[in-house]
Amino acid sequence: MLLLQLLINGLQLGAIYALTAVGFALIFGSTKVFHVAHGAAFTLAGYLFWWSINAQEWHWAVGLALAVAVVVAFGLFMERFIYRPIQRHEGAFFTVFVAAFGMQVIVQNLVGMVFGRGFETVTVSLSRAAEIAPGLFVAPIAGIAIVVAIVFFIGLNLFLLHTHVGTGLRALADNPDLVRVFGLEPTRLAQVAFGLGSALVVPAAALTAMSQGINPGIGAHIMLISLAATIVGGIGSLKGAAYGGFLLGLAESLAVWKLDPQWSEAVTFVILFVFIIFRPAGFLGRAQGAK
Amino acid sequence: MLAYLNNLAVLISINAILAVTLNFVLGYAGIFSLAHAVFFGVGAYTSALVAMKLGGGFLLSTAAAMAASALISLALALPALRVRGEYFVAASLGLQMLALTVFSEWKVVTGGIGGISNIPPARFPGFEISSPAQYLVLALGCLALVMLVVALLVRSSFGRSLKAIRDDETAASAFGKNVAVIKTIAVAVSSALAAVAGSLYAFYLSFVNVESFTLDTSVYLMAMVIIGGTATLVGPVVGAVLILLLPAALSYLPGLPQTEVGSIQQIVYGLAMVLLMIFRPGGLWGFRDQSRGDR
Repeated sequence: MLLLQLLINGLQLGAIYALTAVGFALIFGSTKVFHVAHGAAFTLAGYLFWWSINAQEWHWAVGLALAVAVVVAFGLFMERFIYRPIQRHEGAFFTVFVAAFGMQVIVQNLVGMVFGRGFETVTVSLSRAAEIAPGLFVAPIAGIAIVVAIVFFIGLNLFLLHTHVGTGLRALADNPDLVRVFGLEPTRLAQVAFGLGSALVVPAAALTAMSQGINPGIGAHIMLISLAATIVGGIGSLKGAAYGGFLLGLAESLAVWKLDPQWSEAVTFVILFVFIIFRPAGFLGRAQGAK
Repeated sequence: MLAYLNNLAVLISINAILAVTLNFVLGYAGIFSLAHAVFFGVGAYTSALVAMKLGGGFLLSTAAAMAASALISLALALPALRVRGEYFVAASLGLQMLALTVFSEWKVVTGGIGGISNIPPARFPGFEISSPAQYLVLALGCLALVMLVVALLVRSSFGRSLKAIRDDETAASAFGKNVAVIKTIAVAVSSALAAVAGSLYAFYLSFVNVESFTLDTSVYLMAMVIIGGTATLVGPVVGAVLILLLPAALSYLPGLPQTEVGSIQQIVYGLAMVLLMIFRPGGLWGFRDQSRGDR
C-alpha cells in the first residue's frame, strides 16, 4: 500500500516536473538558449498565484491569468533584453548561462523581500486528501496534475505539428539559417518559444503551490530538476523532457520506500550523473553529448 | 574594529584561494564547475577530522585534505571527460547537491547539520597558531603559495595544453595532447588547492558545518571569478575582495533594514553578473588584460 501511495505521489510530482521541463526543453530546443532563469519564472508564477488567492482573495482563474501574463512578459523580457544582446556580440554558452543565473538570483531575492521567505501554501479543498483505501490517501489534485500535464502536452504537440508558427518553431530548432531563407523571422519565433515555454510553468507552479507549497528558493530546485529531466530525456526532444520529468518525479518519490526522505533529492542527481556518464544523449536525444 | 578587519581579511584570503583555484579549471581549462564548494567542504571536514582524531598539525591535516579532495575530484573529472558545456554544468550541479546531502546526512563523519566543533588550533612543528593576526599571516601565505603554483602551472607547457583544449578540444587532441589525462590532472590540482582553503577555514573558525558548503557558496565563488575576470591571475582575487566587502559596505549604508541586507547583497551580485555578461563578458580585471589575448 505504501508503494502504491508513493507511486501516486510520484506521478503527481512527475507531472509538475514534466510541465516545467517541457517548457525549458521547448526554449532550449528552438533557440539554443540555456534558459536557467526558467526556475525564476516558476517562482514568480507560484507566488503571484498564491498572492492573488490568499492575500487578494481573487478567483483562481484571475490568479492564473495574472501569473501567465507576468511570466510570459518575463520570458519575453529575458529574450529581448538579456539573451539577444549577449548573443549579438558573443554566443558563448557560458556567458548566457551566467547572465541567466544572475537573473535567477535577483528574482529569488526580490520575491523573498516582497512576499516573505517562509513556506506558503494555497489551501483549496482540492488538496485535501481522502482515504480511498486503507492507508492510501489521495487528493483530487494528484489526478488534476496528471490530467493537466497530459492535456498540455497533447495541446503543445498539436500546436507544433499543425500550425504555421509551430512548424516554424520546429524549423528553427533544426536550422535557423534556413528559417531566414524562407522569409520567416527567427527572432519573432524565438519570442514565441520563450512566451510559450514560460507559460508552461504556470500550471506547474500553481499545482505546486496547492500541494507541497512554495518558498523563494524553489526556483533553484525547479531549475535543477528541469535541467536534469531535459538531459535525462535527451536535449532536443520535448517528449524526452516529459518522460524525464515523470521519471525523476517517480524516482524521487519511490526513493522514500527504501531510504530516508532526506536522500530522495540525491536519488535524482545520481540518475542525472549516471545518464551523463553513460548515455549523455539521453534516452530520446538526438544531440550528441560530447561535442 | 581591528579585530573585525582582521577577520574580514582572513575570510577574503580564504575565498580568494577558492576563487583562484576555481578560475584554474574555469578560466584556463574551460571546465565550468558549480561544485567548487564541495572541495572546500571535503578539505575542511578532512582537515578537521585529522586534527581531532589523529592529532595532526596544520601541515599533515592540510596534506590529508588535499589528498582526499583530489581523490573525490575524480567524480567531477569523469563527466568532464565525457561532456562539455551545458551537460557538464548539470553534472557539476548534481555533484554539488549530492555532496550537500552527504555532508548533512553522514552524521558519523560530518556531524550532520550540527557540524564539527572544537577543532584544535593549527599546530606547526615547534609553534602553534592561535591569534587572529597569526591566522591572517598564515592565510595570506597560503594565498600567495596557491597563486604562485597556479601562475607557474599556467605558464608551463601544461598550462598551454589546457588553454589549447579549452579553445579547441579536437585540434588539441589532433596535436597529440592527451585530453583525458590533462583534464583530470587540472581538476585534481584545482580541487586539492581548494582543500587548502577548507583546511584554513576549519582551523580558523574551529568549527565547520554544512552551511558553508552549499550551492550558494559555489555560486558566490563563480561570481567572484566572473566579476573579477576569468583566466587572469589577479581577477579572482579582485572578485573575492569586492564580493566580501560588499556586505560590509552595505551594513554601513544608512536606512537599510538589517534583515534585508542579505537579499540586497545577493541582488547586487545577480545584477552585476547580468550586466557584466551583457557589457563586459571578460570581467572587470579581464577587460584591462585584454591585450594579452587571454579571454
